Parts: sequence; C-alpha cells; structure tokens
Amino acid sequence: MDDQLADMVARLHPDAEGVDIADFAPIPGGFSRETFRFDATVRSASGTETLPMILRKDPPDAVAILQTSRLVEHELIEAIRANTSVPVARSYGAEMDPSVFGEAAMIIERAPGNGLTSDLFNGGRDEDQVDDVCGHLCEALVALHQADIATIDPNESLSDPRNVGVDVSSWDAYMDSTLEYYISAYDEVSYDPAVMVLLDSFLTLRRTKPRPLPLVPVHGDFNPANFLYADGKVTALIDWENSRVGDPREDLGWMMMMDTLSNTSVMAHPADKGGFLGYYNELTGLDITVEEIGYFILFGTANIAVPVQSAIKRRQAGEHRELLHLYLLQPSAHGLAGMGQLMGYPGMV
Amino acid sequence: MNSSPSIDNLIEGVIHAIGDELLPNLGDSPKAQATAAMAQSVLQGVRQMLEVADQNIALDHNEMVAAFRQMADDLGEAEGDAADRVRERCAQYGAVAEVPAPPDREAIMATHLELGHALEATLPDLDELIRAGEERGQTALDTLRAHLAQRYQRDAAAIIVGEGMIGRG
Repeated sequence: MDDQLADMVARLHPDAEGVDIADFAPIPGGFSRETFRFDATVRSASGTETLPMILRKDPPDAVAILQTSRLVEHELIEAIRANTSVPVARSYGAEMDPSVFGEAAMIIERAPGNGLTSDLFNGGRDEDQVDDVCGHLCEALVALHQADIATIDPNESLSDPRNVGVDVSSWDAYMDSTLEYYISAYDEVSYDPAVMVLLDSFLTLRRTKPRPLPLVPVHGDFNPANFLYADGKVTALIDWENSRVGDPREDLGWMMMMDTLSNTSVMAHPADKGGFLGYYNELTGLDITVEEIGYFILFGTANIAVPVQSAIKRRQAGEHRELLHLYLLQPSAHGLAGMGQLMGYPGMV
Repeated sequence: MNSSPSIDNLIEGVIHAIGDELLPNLGDSPKAQATAAMAQSVLQGVRQMLEVADQNIALDHNEMVAAFRQMADDLGEAEGDAADRVRERCAQYGAVAEVPAPPDREAIMATHLELGHALEATLPDLDELIRAGEERGQTALDTLRAHLAQRYQRDAAAIIVGEGMIGRG
C-alpha cells in the first residue's frame, strides 16, 4: 500500500523528487468508506515537507451502502474550497482506477482540529466553546447554501448524483422526481413487509409537500459527527459524499434528527441567537419553521433509508456475506420506529 | 417481527463472519483460534436447537408426565420409604396437564409473510383514496398505522442492544 500511495502522492506533486509514506493506519468509524491516515514526506528541490493525509477508499460494489463517486467528491471539495468561505480539508486528488488501491479512492488533507465533537456537550472538556463553534458551523452552512450552484458544480454532477432521474430544474420538479425515486425504489429496498413504514413515509411525503424554497448545494450528511473544530471555530466540514443539489431544509432536518440520536445539542446553539435554526433564519431571512424541519427530517431519513435498506436486501439476497449489513438491522429497527413516530403513528411517543 | 432475515439467517451470518473475518486474522494464538471455532460450533448448535426446541420441550414434557403415570402403575403396592417417595412424586407430577404440540412454525411464518405483503399492497391504494379526497381512506390508514406502531415498538424493544451504532464514535 505504501508504494501505491507514494506513487499517487508523487503524481499529485510533479516537482517531487521522492515521497516517503509513514504511519499508515486505519481510522475506525464510518460505514460507507474505508479511511486510513498516513503521513507523506515529499522531497523536492525546494525542500522537504511532511503532509498529514487521509486515504478514503470505496468498499466493493456489492457491499457499498452509498454508490457515489470519489472524483465528484474531490471536485466538489476543491470547488467549495476555492469559491466559498466554508471550511473544508483540501482534497489532493482521486484515483478511479480500482487496480491501484483495490477500489476507487481519494486522498485528502488530514485537517487540524478535534473530531470528537461530543467534547462540546454534556459537560465535555470544550463545552465553553459550544456557542462559538455552533455559530461558526451555522455560518458555514449558510455559506454553503448561498454558494452559486453553477460555480461549484459546473459539470452538474450534483444534480442527480445517484443517477436515479432527479430533476433539479425547479423545486417542485426536484421534490416530485425525488419522491418518485423513493417510491419506485421501494421494491429494491423491501426485504420484508415489516419495512412498509418506508412506503408509508414516501407516500406521505408526496401528499404533504411544504412551501417551495430555492434549491441550493446541500451537504447531505450534515450531522454532529461531521465537522472538526479548534479554538471556537470549525476547522473543516467533512464527509461530502452524499452532497447534492437540494432543499436547504434537508441539512437542517438531518442535523436535528442526528443531534437527538447523538445526544448532542447543536440545534440549541448559539443560545443567544435563538439556537441554530434561529441564527440560520437571521442569516438567511428564510423563516424556516420547526414544522418544516419535521417534514425534512422524514425526507432526509427516506434519502438515507433507501441505500441502507437496499444494502440489507443485497446481503439477504446472498450477494455477499458482510456482517455489517445484518448488524444494520439493529439501528434500522430504531430508524423504522422513528419514522412511524415522525408521521404521528398512534401511541408512538 | 421480520419474516426475513430470520433468526436463523442472523446466526448463520455471524458464523460466516467469524470464519471470513475473524479466524484468518487471529494470528498464532491457538486459544483464540480454538475459541473462534468453538463459537462457530456453539452457534451452529443454537441454530439446530432453535429448529426443534419448542417441539422437543413439549414432547419432553408430555413424556415425563406419562413416565410418572406409568411408574406409579409399575410400582404397584411395593413397600418401603423409597417406594412411598416415588408414588408421592408420581401422584404430583403424573397429574400435571399435557401440553399441546406447538404450531407449525414454517406455516405460521408463511402466513405472516403473506399478511404483511397484503398490508404493504394496501398502502398505495389508501394513498390513492386520500389523494382523491376520500376521508375514510385516512381513517383506514390510521388503523393500519396503529397496528404498525405497536409492531415497531415491539420490534425495536426486541432487537436493539445498547445505544448508538458500533463504529460511529
């Protein structure tokens, strides 16, 4: 692995006379990609530089939960870095030839900052920073949502990254085509009738659409575990693989749900601005309501439930023997019950 | 409760994971290797026991009761403290009621699946009715949801182990 990494880092640094790889080790956590940390020491005529890096690699197709492109993620990160104030870790490049690392992969900067964001909450060691960090996180989200789509996505790779027929020509077209995708995908995700709450949620979402808002670039997995921070500031928003053009309330809804599941309280900060949503509304003037967020919690849950349940179904169909996809039945049971709760199923509190 | 994957499917998956992911990576520790292999064997035993456990327990129960009744006849008027103790047990345990044979699990699971698919197919029809303005469609949907609510709460209580997700920090 060290040789392949050294070759790729050398390709990304044309003036390099030599590259040494050290301390290659897996980073635990995360289900959708395999990630490894390493240091690359690049020797060139101008001197020697050691770069902290991360290799982010796709799992095999049959095992993958989200089928996304590392090249698209690389180009998006670099476009965001060049054109917005959103803090992101630099992406050095993508290697799409699976023969190099076993599967498609990308190399990104190992950004500085604490990734253990639970330190900000519940009496954690950085609780004094929570208002500043969450305020900055909100500003970063607003900067992303206010970025010009054509500038950061000139190839329209984010319009329909799953290639499932999503139409972003208008808000209504986006919602209708996305919901049609969910509904038509139900047969692919239903490994047992016990998951029928998904179908109920897709149909309910179609019947109860909220007011339209302009479409924006959304992060797609905006949650309390997907940022780093230091000294009261967000140093990087991470994990951009589910980014796409969408409704800004999707990111807020996903954060609100994951905030609850993670036992964090991002949405309660910055406290002096009325919390995350209050500050977001102050910065954008969108006046998004908690009820609207509720709709997009369900919408976002459906968005992630389709690939997750589909992965469980592929395991059940015998396409592979990974235990992860059977383990996912446990959080999935929690998620299905949560969807019933979001739709106000009788007796669910 | 899911019809699929079944409890047997889940245990089989763990057996495969031990063989595919753990055994090849346990290094040179003979105890670790043996423990992993024994874990596979125990789990395979659990799979086999689960298939017949309810039926065998019922059979054992009824055969034990029958044995007590027969032993009382066998001893007849035999004398002595030991004979008295056996007769006392035979009187007590021979009077225990027999239990019925458990229902055919495969047949129950097949019907469970069929009922589930029928409810699943009802959802788009109710959606069509609601969108057409038929208020009774919503009432029927509420009935279906009331069933699902109880079911999901039972399922979540049965399957969830601890809080959070392994591998998510």
